[in-house]
Amino acid sequence: MRRPVLARRDQVLRGGQPLAFAVGLAVALVVGVLLLLGSGHDPLRVYGRMFDASLGDPRAWSVTLNRAVPLGLAGLAVAVAGSMGLWNIGAEGQIMAGAIGAAWVARIGAGWPGPVLVTAMLAAAVVGGGLLALGPAIARARIGVNEIITTLMLNEVAIRLVQWLIHGRWKDPGSHNFPLAPMLPANGRLPTLFERAHVGVVLAGIVIALFGLAASRTAWGYELRVAGSSGATARYAGISLKRKILTVLVLSGGVAGFAGGVELAGTADRITEGLSNGFGFAGIIVAALALMRPSGVAAVALLFGAVQIGGQSIQTMGVSSSVSTILQALILFGAIAAGVLSRYRIEMVAGDTVGAAASGDGS
Amino acid sequence: MSPAPGDAPATAAPAVELRGVWKRFPGVVANAGAHLTVWAGTVHAVLGENGAGKSTLMNVLSGVYRPDEGEVRIDGVARHFRSPADALAAGVGMVHQEFRLVPSFTVAENVVLGAAERIVRRQAVESAVAELAERFGLATEPDRPVWQLSMGERQRVEILKALWRDARILILDEPTAVLTPGEADELGRILRHMAEDDRTVIFISHKLHEVTGFCDEATVLRGGETVAASLPVAETDSSALAGLMVGSSPAISERPTPVAAGGPMLTVVGLACLDDRGLPALHGVDLTVRAGEIVGIAGVAGNGQRELAQAVAGLRPTTGGSVHIDGIDLTAATPRQRFGAGLGYIPEDRMGVGLAPRLSVTDNAILRTYSSHRRGPFLDAEAATAHCRDIVDRFAVRTGPLDQPIAGLSGGNLQRLLVGRELSDRPRVVVAAQPTRGLDVQGVKAIQDLLVAERGVGVAILLISEDLDELLTLADRLLVMHGGRVVAEFDPEAAGRHDIGEAMVGNASTGVAAT
Amino acid sequence: MNEASLIGLLEATVSFGALLYLAALGEMITEKAGILNLGVEGMMAIGAVTGFVVALQTGNPWVALVAAIGAGALAGLLHGLFTVVLGAEQVVSGLSLTILGIGLAAYIGKGFVGRPAGAELVPVDWGPLTDIPWAGPVLFQQSPLVYMAVLAGLAAWFVLGRTRLGLAVRAAGESASTADAAGHSVVGLRLGAVATGGALAGASGAYLTLSITPQWVEGVIAGRGWIAVALVIFGAWRPGRVALGALLFGLTLALKTRLQTFGVDFSPILLSMLPYLLTVGVLVAISIRARNRPSPAPAALGIAYRREER
Repeated sequence: MRRPVLARRDQVLRGGQPLAFAVGLAVALVVGVLLLLGSGHDPLRVYGRMFDASLGDPRAWSVTLNRAVPLGLAGLAVAVAGSMGLWNIGAEGQIMAGAIGAAWVARIGAGWPGPVLVTAMLAAAVVGGGLLALGPAIARARIGVNEIITTLMLNEVAIRLVQWLIHGRWKDPGSHNFPLAPMLPANGRLPTLFERAHVGVVLAGIVIALFGLAASRTAWGYELRVAGSSGATARYAGISLKRKILTVLVLSGGVAGFAGGVELAGTADRITEGLSNGFGFAGIIVAALALMRPSGVAAVALLFGAVQIGGQSIQTMGVSSSVSTILQALILFGAIAAGVLSRYRIEMVAGDTVGAAASGDGS
Repeated sequence: MSPAPGDAPATAAPAVELRGVWKRFPGVVANAGAHLTVWAGTVHAVLGENGAGKSTLMNVLSGVYRPDEGEVRIDGVARHFRSPADALAAGVGMVHQEFRLVPSFTVAENVVLGAAERIVRRQAVESAVAELAERFGLATEPDRPVWQLSMGERQRVEILKALWRDARILILDEPTAVLTPGEADELGRILRHMAEDDRTVIFISHKLHEVTGFCDEATVLRGGETVAASLPVAETDSSALAGLMVGSSPAISERPTPVAAGGPMLTVVGLACLDDRGLPALHGVDLTVRAGEIVGIAGVAGNGQRELAQAVAGLRPTTGGSVHIDGIDLTAATPRQRFGAGLGYIPEDRMGVGLAPRLSVTDNAILRTYSSHRRGPFLDAEAATAHCRDIVDRFAVRTGPLDQPIAGLSGGNLQRLLVGRELSDRPRVVVAAQPTRGLDVQGVKAIQDLLVAERGVGVAILLISEDLDELLTLADRLLVMHGGRVVAEFDPEAAGRHDIGEAMVGNASTGVAAT
Repeated sequence: MNEASLIGLLEATVSFGALLYLAALGEMITEKAGILNLGVEGMMAIGAVTGFVVALQTGNPWVALVAAIGAGALAGLLHGLFTVVLGAEQVVSGLSLTILGIGLAAYIGKGFVGRPAGAELVPVDWGPLTDIPWAGPVLFQQSPLVYMAVLAGLAAWFVLGRTRLGLAVRAAGESASTADAAGHSVVGLRLGAVATGGALAGASGAYLTLSITPQWVEGVIAGRGWIAVALVIFGAWRPGRVALGALLFGLTLALKTRLQTFGVDFSPILLSMLPYLLTVGVLVAISIRARNRPSPAPAALGIAYRREER
């Protein structure tokens, strides 16, 4: 009786992760076709519309870029922590915390000149996100509390905090039955870049590039690599693990908070419960696909942005926008599978021992 | 006992027969047509140096590996084990070097894991385990969680596991590595007891004196092949066995030419510290290493050597005492500061402390010196690569592209990289903990030569090793540690192994050897 | 505050508690085997939509429940395929499952928003037991899924603690290589555990659309999957403690809409933060204690196991 076994390849397949990514995309598109056919839609028309709406013309591009901003920043946040082996699952909440910070500054600084107000809002957003991550950061650095759970739990807390504010002290007196926060003042908005895209696109690009540079070229990035590889080795090299964990997690939270501030000041009119819109979780997927490297985050975020915007556009065709959600998840699953297969191959191993060339060690 | 040659054992086949076993891994052939024959009711030793293929062969026998070629016969019947479970079912049980125990489970739970009744009744199981333990003289408490047990106690649990499954064939992989000499004797008794119970015991070792102590026959492996099969131990000269293990009668290793030692470089006074469990590991260690001198530290593993190395290197906080290098007090200094003061450290854990497995060769090479490659916040990539290349060239490290992860390098090259890195900044003191462990013969020689060369230029070297032969060859002075203290000092040229051994187990009578 | 409303509160507590318990028990079993599955929210959504749709098509709530359980198990197996067989990162796979599950549920359920349920799992009639003051209405007028939850909890406690299978599952979660060496199939054990987790999550989701609020709305799970994940930690991976925690968290859920009736002027939104904050507190406490003795968390949780890795 023969059974399949995963055996490590001697050499990782060429083209590794980008190839895996492409395979994942292909798999997702194929499954998407089946889904659409199954519910009686024309896949070509649907995909065509998705493409047009997201990448068809400059206007579409501008909307897609806007969407790529929070995805990319959230992805960067997760990647920064991820490069040290830490999981920031709290980007969703940190985005909200950042938005709260920015919204608060907008309330008190309504009379300030535009650039000043916007800068202050974004700074407050970074602080907000960083603050939310501070608790889990300290807990992990000093006691070793698993940051996956602590950051995850605070998501829900932050979201409810926004709800509470909107229903309470921040409620726009004009909104009666359905509580809403007031709209942002005009001088609290990010200026437009082109078509519908706002300056946040440039800001996000700069931040991602900066981190990419820092990770590969600076001593700080080197220390991060060492700390991520092995705690004992890091101590040996004189790197304070506690300090690194603390700074990395808070920084990660700050970047996610920045995403919230940019999203608020760029795309949204006002702070709402749905502002984070799954960006935090999508960011984890983006970071995973980019192998926790800032250099890959931008490209993956752009793709996911296109998928999401495309998904919204097909609603008028009577197709649920959740097609795009499904596609995103499928891209990831496909990419995981492809990634694993680029490092391992499947072998059929017989019960008979003769000729069985398994590699391995069990001890 | 094994049948004498010439007796035709009527229908009895050997309990274990391995023929023509080949096993390959990426980049290395672990077994090259090895064979082994063991009769029931005997204690059989499988001897060989590190890397000779003993563990691999036993893993084949116990179902962990599937051999690429070759045959496994149990009681004369050919078997194809697909997993350890198959082997267990055939009566083959293995006690590995690293124990396979679940720390949070009790002794009883660990023993019956995989061989329990469908419904596990705690009381019944615990008393059954206690009964079995008594039968074979293995004292144990079935309801204690394993994380509380000592190494010797855990090993007994491992043996119980095999006995619980009625293993007729018991394989032990370097079992005495984690035992005190007293526990090792105890183990020897237990094994003989089992042989008398007509079970088969196979005992992997690279320590000759254990083999002569309680084994009937020995098979010697070298380079993945069987070079001598089923030698009756009682009739075989141990130096002949040693010769078979290393391939020729071992040349008497040349001692390095004496060098006039300089002033004290490393001074440790009253050093005390705790181990990982919070118990005292060092109780006031005093030692001095002079420039151009190698001081060796011998002792059974677990007597504080590990902690001593870590404390001197700055990786373990001390609870008392002091460490000075050339007069500079470094007791409170960080590892980085100590490196800057001229202390090189070759840690026991090559991968995982000394080297970071997922990082590139360059990243590893600059681990200790990266601050000096800084230009502002940036890291000068060219300087880093140049430094790495320098180390690779000077210390003959065979590696692929420098920006690739080091995971693919062989043990010998990894160690060369590590040692090279520590020596590259011209330290004045080197602390080397088990520097040649796990290396092949060439690798051992290379590292030993490096250390001797450093000694030649006036470096003070503290050499901690489990290999007494290595210490006797290289060290100018030999200290023995027991129970967290230095209990004896010997002159390696004059000292007798027996006296050293006694000191190692705590019976240092006189303490200082003759000059 | 009167008796009727108090009884109503307790009834809701038990009801929500069972909802949480089913999903949390499933996740506990999965984690006991060493697999972290953050896809609970998604699996619950799949169970919810499956239950609803099948009930609509067949008119039989029991068939719908079985279908939901099966769908949940399949979703769990998907996670298992990636994490156990392929060894992928469990956090990433689980979150993808959540996204996928919620998306699929929304997609499938799109045409059914607002439609009344095709069938319901009505509360079980225990006859004279319902007349017991207090205990009667609170304990004996619940949906059959509540009693299923109790049975599931007892079964989990028995199997994990007193059977060979349970020992094997726990070993896989503490030290996979040990379980492997002992002859158990780590892959089989973990796949079984993750499928069981999915099945229970599916049952929990179906509980919503077949009993508690028999209708379909997008986002029906509303974050309760995350509470279930929290609950496993809060209960320190023990069936009994998780049950107590489920009741506590169920209480906070029940209080959300009832605070007004009790004249308590406390924001229900802030109250709903409680389960999460409590869980963080418990986790910190566990971690502090874990410095001296092993943590109650399964030691191999979250780490992929590959036997043939050199």
